[in-house]
Amino acid sequence: MFYRRAGLLHTRYQDERQLWPFAFDRGLVGCVCLVLVVAPFLFERLYLVTYLLPWIIWSTAALGLNLLMGGAGQVHLGYGAVIGIGAYASVHMLRAGIPLEIAMLGGGLASAIVGCLFGAAALRVKGLYLAMATLAMQYMVDFIISHFEIISGGTQATLQVPPVRFLGVPLSSDAAAYYFALGVCVVVTLFLLNVKRTSFGRALAAVREKDYAAAVIGVDSFRFKLLAFWVSSFIGGVVGCVLAVSYYRAISPDQFHIDLSIQLVAMVIVGGLGSVLGSFFGAALILFAPIVLNHLVGLIADLAGLPISADLRAHLPLMLYGAMIMGFLLWEPLGLAKIYNNTRNYFLVWPFRHAR
Amino acid sequence: MSVTRRTLLTSAAAAALAAQFRIDPAAAQEKVIRFSMPQDFTKIYTFVTSEYNQGQRDYISLVNARGGINGYTIAADVSDHGNDLPRAIEAFERAKSQGAVLVDPLSTPVARALTPRALADKINLITAFSGRSDAADGTVFPYVFPLSPNYWTQIALLVDYFRQQSGDLKGKKICFVHIDTPFGKEPLPVLKRLQEKLGFELSTFPYTPPGNDQSAIWPQVRRARPDWIVFWGAGVGQTVALTEVIRNGLPLNKVSSSVWLSESDMDVVGRSQAAGVLKIEPCASGRAPKLIQEILKEVVEPGKGAGPTEKVGTAYYNYGVMLASLMVEGVRQAFARAPQGPISGEWLNAGLTSITNFDAQGLIPPTTVTKEDHQGGGKARIARWDGAKFVPVTDWFTAYSDVVWEVIRESAAEFQKSGK
Repeated sequence: MFYRRAGLLHTRYQDERQLWPFAFDRGLVGCVCLVLVVAPFLFERLYLVTYLLPWIIWSTAALGLNLLMGGAGQVHLGYGAVIGIGAYASVHMLRAGIPLEIAMLGGGLASAIVGCLFGAAALRVKGLYLAMATLAMQYMVDFIISHFEIISGGTQATLQVPPVRFLGVPLSSDAAAYYFALGVCVVVTLFLLNVKRTSFGRALAAVREKDYAAAVIGVDSFRFKLLAFWVSSFIGGVVGCVLAVSYYRAISPDQFHIDLSIQLVAMVIVGGLGSVLGSFFGAALILFAPIVLNHLVGLIADLAGLPISADLRAHLPLMLYGAMIMGFLLWEPLGLAKIYNNTRNYFLVWPFRHAR
Repeated sequence: MSVTRRTLLTSAAAAALAAQFRIDPAAAQEKVIRFSMPQDFTKIYTFVTSEYNQGQRDYISLVNARGGINGYTIAADVSDHGNDLPRAIEAFERAKSQGAVLVDPLSTPVARALTPRALADKINLITAFSGRSDAADGTVFPYVFPLSPNYWTQIALLVDYFRQQSGDLKGKKICFVHIDTPFGKEPLPVLKRLQEKLGFELSTFPYTPPGNDQSAIWPQVRRARPDWIVFWGAGVGQTVALTEVIRNGLPLNKVSSSVWLSESDMDVVGRSQAAGVLKIEPCASGRAPKLIQEILKEVVEPGKGAGPTEKVGTAYYNYGVMLASLMVEGVRQAFARAPQGPISGEWLNAGLTSITNFDAQGLIPPTTVTKEDHQGGGKARIARWDGAKFVPVTDWFTAYSDVVWEVIRESAAEFQKSGK
């Protein structure tokens, strides 16, 4: 019906290899992109600033982590710290007067270097042990940031982000900040969409499935594991810069605690390991389910006039949220992206259901 | 199965959408002043928040039951931000779009993150016992209101109390045991300056957050043979510290905390065991104050209380009443200045900065908030736990405000310089 495969004939390799061979997919992507581009004129400020903007930033971060976790199969519980390094490095550079374009890459580089140092643990240990090593990174970075006043910024431990410009445009308005985040997100998304089709992506997949099997077929797992950490940490660092510049505008150590790392891991897992689309779904669910559930419970309590105590009213959404995540994972362990994919597969052969 | 699932999803989506469109229900009904109270009920501060919030809402119920102010009632929008910044920012922006004139997040990280937004959007941000200590400087932070003695003022009060008791602090030893976070280290600059001024010996003992194991620290404190001990933390760290004080046999009447110590903490430690320990009291505790009596009679007894009756009159409950009374006094002053409004952040700001000698019928020290001084004079008193309740051992006082303000101004100037 929607996705028409019939009549798709390719005579050139380029056509065969395009990102979205189905016209419907292209249309869908185009519509979403259009909505995202006109969003500042379309939505109220509240929705732009507190829903779309964080969603885009967190999705970019989830994409970066997904390259490592879904793409290369390496667990990382310290991605929050990676983002923190990027944020601190870039804000310090900005405060020193370095332009944002360079500071952003500088933040990425700083994260990539530190991320790689800890990622080197991945060359020796796997699975749970790697999780512990990256967790250690999280705690060490937290400790270092909050213990060096020169990094954290004095007794108040809060660094203001100075007014910045990106390519000559001041990022003071909501729309400008949003477009900046969107731009970074688009670049990262395109990179990740393409990565799977490169030899790099295939090598990562080989490492993910079994690293010594990969070595047997000639993939240097040492190199590709490190490369995966490098690329993913670089993305994390850039996201840290975007987060600081266009969303938080003042950074303090507690913004990059273990909570953020866990949130990101949850986004990747709930969204779907190794899926680009899933990162967006996961980010949306983990970021907004608590908020929406809170409003919902509040609304129901108000409408029904239920005398729920503030405590219960605050904890009820939390329970629902937990149940929701468990429900999603039970129903579809491969994540939200798989649910979408199943729907898509269904419509691909619709109405001939048996063809599935 | 697929039908029920679909129905479920559709209805959930519809409900979620419906919730989103409830953006401004109160715009229709005039004569309401909105206070937004997104606070942390679920993550770190939990029982602190629920008692504090209960006090706030009970006071607001009292004001509303008496007909509000100038014909306006006060709506308190309570929600949970779980100490999570995206949620807190969402709550702040929502409050702004709903026309709230004041936001009270009761969380240090959240208050720090919201400060630039509050300054830009001209919404009054209440940062009582949280947030930036240098926000006491109203010239740099015109829309941020601690309205209560900040941590620098609190530590100065304690040191002065020690001086009063010891006669002279020269050569005396003060041990400062703190959680190893920016919040725990906050009093250090003032402590160091007072050390130079008064000549006492200062030893600091950081413990790792969240502080549920401090057994390595306290024997060291004991061996240091301190004359006075200050422990500085929040949540679980406080009760663990107090337990360790008792276990190490340190003299409780030489031990003090900041404002963060309450009856609920004593229940964990053991009420009678903790007898003697000191704390800073920013407002009277217990049910004796006239205002608490009025709340009991007019709000709690008719069954309109916001929480369990036994919590009425606890330390954190009274902090909530204290802050709500200051906010409402701000509204009153704002009406005195501009009876016709328009009700906005700027309007309330004018009211909050002209609170003069307000004492909430004896609940709090006489408080004067000006455009320059947002902590309202920085008065508090020292109270001692007698095994059942906190008994004040001093009158309201403030100490070393010259040193404290020096640090406030330095830090504020740094903020001003960096944001530009």
